[in-house]
Amino acid sequence: MRSILFAIIIGLVGAALLHIVIILTLPQFTGKDAYSRVLGLYEMDSFFSLTNEPGPTGLSNDDPFLRVAVCSFAVTGGPTRFVAKGSVPFWSVSIYDANSNEVFSMNDKTSVNGNLDLVMATPIQLVDIRKTPPESLAQSILVEMPEEEGYAVLRALAQTDSFEEPVRNFLSEASCEPFRR
Amino acid sequence: MFRIPLLVALALSIAFGVGIVSTVSALKATVGFGAISLGPWVAFPDAQTENTDPYAKAHRARAGKLLYGGAEGLQFTAAVDTAGERLSSGCSYDVVGLTPPARFWTLYATTANDQPMRAPAELPTAFNAWTVQRQADSAFIIHVSADAQPDNWLAIRRIGAFKLVLTLLDTPTAGSSGVIDLAMPKIVKTGCPDA
Repeated sequence: MRSILFAIIIGLVGAALLHIVIILTLPQFTGKDAYSRVLGLYEMDSFFSLTNEPGPTGLSNDDPFLRVAVCSFAVTGGPTRFVAKGSVPFWSVSIYDANSNEVFSMNDKTSVNGNLDLVMATPIQLVDIRKTPPESLAQSILVEMPEEEGYAVLRALAQTDSFEEPVRNFLSEASCEPFRR
Repeated sequence: MFRIPLLVALALSIAFGVGIVSTVSALKATVGFGAISLGPWVAFPDAQTENTDPYAKAHRARAGKLLYGGAEGLQFTAAVDTAGERLSSGCSYDVVGLTPPARFWTLYATTANDQPMRAPAELPTAFNAWTVQRQADSAFIIHVSADAQPDNWLAIRRIGAFKLVLTLLDTPTAGSSGVIDLAMPKIVKTGCPDA
């Protein structure tokens, strides 16, 4: 009888250990996390507009009034520049690293002239840009990217159907490209 | 003779059984720690950040949702009404009041698993700060029901339990802990015709 009790206690200790191990390692092996889903769209270096129905990797416009575009990028070879222009009632952008941690986020009220012009770069690339600032980046917001890979999420608001077209144009014309001088 | 292998099997089955069940149920039950709850509405302002707890990281990796950044907005979900009872699509509810300060807000319903409701496209399944009809004091009453209602009707399907999602866009609420003092709309049950 005592040995059965002992086995149960050992089992519960093992269960607690397993619980902790699963929780801590789950982000590495789900394969369903947001970054894997964005990568699965095979759209490097350009914004991919999501649909209202779940796409091939299960991403969709969750909010009925927000249209979303995603872009996976890497700053290994050089900085990445995000540009979007156009008149929409509201837009916002978030930059996440490969572990889906937020690196930077902003919206149209915190931007320059209401346009998106953002450069993500590694610390070394940033030093280089600041030493000899290119003229084309005079208005850009420069942000340090702590990791080499990540993804961007651009959202635009279409509160009624009549805003649908400008919002679609805003998202499809948004660019997410490696920056070259 | 089989005492020792039996005991080992017992210990292992408890370890794996309890370990896996407790993990899955913990991830289903909550998005993590660090929730702010205002009446029935719950939000996780730090769930997308590096500083969040391991449960939130595991949950977001499993759900694979595109979360809202701090400058984008804050998403509140409600699975219960103001009285604390689970929202059921067999009943009708009124969402009454005002939202905290924000540039814009949207309100829609999801299933209990955070999946879209998939109601027919011709039904009004979502409201936002523009499309809602307000009263003289700019407060609103939204009738959430599976049956047609006058004024603001948020149509739901009869699917059992459901959730309401209120997203505040560009809100000072997201960055502050002062959110506790803010008033969120109430969710009042008005009746259960089927029950």
